[in-house]
Amino acid sequence: MTPADLHYQVDVAHWGWSIAWFLWFVGIAGMGSVAYYFVRRAPLAYVIFGSLAIGLLLVVSHLGRWWNLPRVLWIMVINLDFNFNSWMLIGIMMLSVHLFMTLFIVIAHLPFLTNRFGWLGWTKALNASNLYLVLYAALGAGATVYSGFLITQAAGVPLWNTSLIPVLWVISGSVAAIAVLELLYVFGLVDARVSSFGVRLGMGLDVLKLLAVLGFLHVALSFGSAGARFGAELMTSGEYALMTWGGVIGIGILIPLAIGAYTIFVGKSKPLLLVSSVAALAGVFFLRAAVLLAGVWEPLVL
Amino acid sequence: MSTRLRRGQAPTRRMAHIWDASRCIACGACVMACTQANAPEMMFREEKGWKSLASNIRRIDSVSPHGRPELLLVQCQHCENAPCISTCPFGATYYDTDGRVRLDPARCAGCSYCVTSCPYNVRWLHPDNKLPKKCMGDGCIDLTDSGQHPACVQACPAMARDYGDLNDPSSSVSVTLRTKRSRRLLEATGSEPKFFVVEGSR
Repeated sequence: MTPADLHYQVDVAHWGWSIAWFLWFVGIAGMGSVAYYFVRRAPLAYVIFGSLAIGLLLVVSHLGRWWNLPRVLWIMVINLDFNFNSWMLIGIMMLSVHLFMTLFIVIAHLPFLTNRFGWLGWTKALNASNLYLVLYAALGAGATVYSGFLITQAAGVPLWNTSLIPVLWVISGSVAAIAVLELLYVFGLVDARVSSFGVRLGMGLDVLKLLAVLGFLHVALSFGSAGARFGAELMTSGEYALMTWGGVIGIGILIPLAIGAYTIFVGKSKPLLLVSSVAALAGVFFLRAAVLLAGVWEPLVL
Repeated sequence: MSTRLRRGQAPTRRMAHIWDASRCIACGACVMACTQANAPEMMFREEKGWKSLASNIRRIDSVSPHGRPELLLVQCQHCENAPCISTCPFGATYYDTDGRVRLDPARCAGCSYCVTSCPYNVRWLHPDNKLPKKCMGDGCIDLTDSGQHPACVQACPAMARDYGDLNDPSSSVSVTLRTKRSRRLLEATGSEPKFFVVEGSR
């Protein structure tokens, strides 16, 4: 039964598609940074940088009063008044640092820059430093976790008030990072060795993601408040059921799993890998969009 | 006149709203008075998300399991543990020295985090300036700073509304809460709201 006082957050707060894309880009960049620690290839660094830049642009463009941002930052800095209780503030700081750390890595991969401007040589030293790359990977994982806690902290939307979301975001972000590596391999931008560790790991993550998605829905449906339950119903049998079953699970998990199994038993096929990685990336996006759009407030009754 | 509460400072007063459901006749005067006092430019415009008049008071009509029509009027609860203050990344939402939750437009970038963080869904985005509006608006702040009641309390013909200091045992709200049966909404969220729904005599 639909409660009398039912309001979708997207209608009132307008956290819609642009935030879903933002969360998607942060997932790719965040867990992509962890993957970078292992593979250290330039094309991956470019993808991470692009994802971060687009993600940050999206989030700034989503601000209703973006033109007031410089003034807001100025007031915060001159008063030394920072609300570190806010995941949004923590996250934006993390993403800004992450963007600069990625920029240094990107520069290190551009010999025409480092050769022409010798003083940029330190970026190559950073890119060769295990310590720097460990910090970089940790910051990436942290940014992905942040993007989960960002919505978990929104107390008005009970569907989101669960620690499963950051976990789900990390798992699906890892799926996205592996899908990016597979795509880079398909387009000949990285060698087969880089891609080879992805198939089995990707399948394992797909299974974990399936469990986490079903667990998230089960907990909300069985033990959640009325608002959480209604949001989960929107995802399982309501307005966003097609996005959940078709997009998140069908396209995002089952297709990559099937192609992964084929790859293990029959052999690697670039066209199939292309389908698998695009499907996995689409599934990661659908997951974020469905969870966001299904957010409703707790219905109030007398 | 109330000012921004500094970190670690306790509010001098704890101003609270009361809505007496047993007296309310559902005329909607408080809703209209609120818009007229705080956002007169919205008098004939809809809050699209709520599909109702853009006002800092939200009207919820429902039907009880026994088929009886029911009404609930909600507004900012001026929570003592306000989620919107915790989440605001820029410190735009703050407590004033009267314990009220206020908004500083100069520090607001329009991220809507306060809107999604409010368990009561009582913030709405102004379509022109994109500020997350809520009770109390500038009009009511001016009224209370000059010693008057907020617009909704003044407009109510059934005396179903009241506003006063919980720290003052002789204030009308303290007396009402001592003598009448009341409850707070969504207490499980831990937000410690200061909006009381009076349900009748004890």
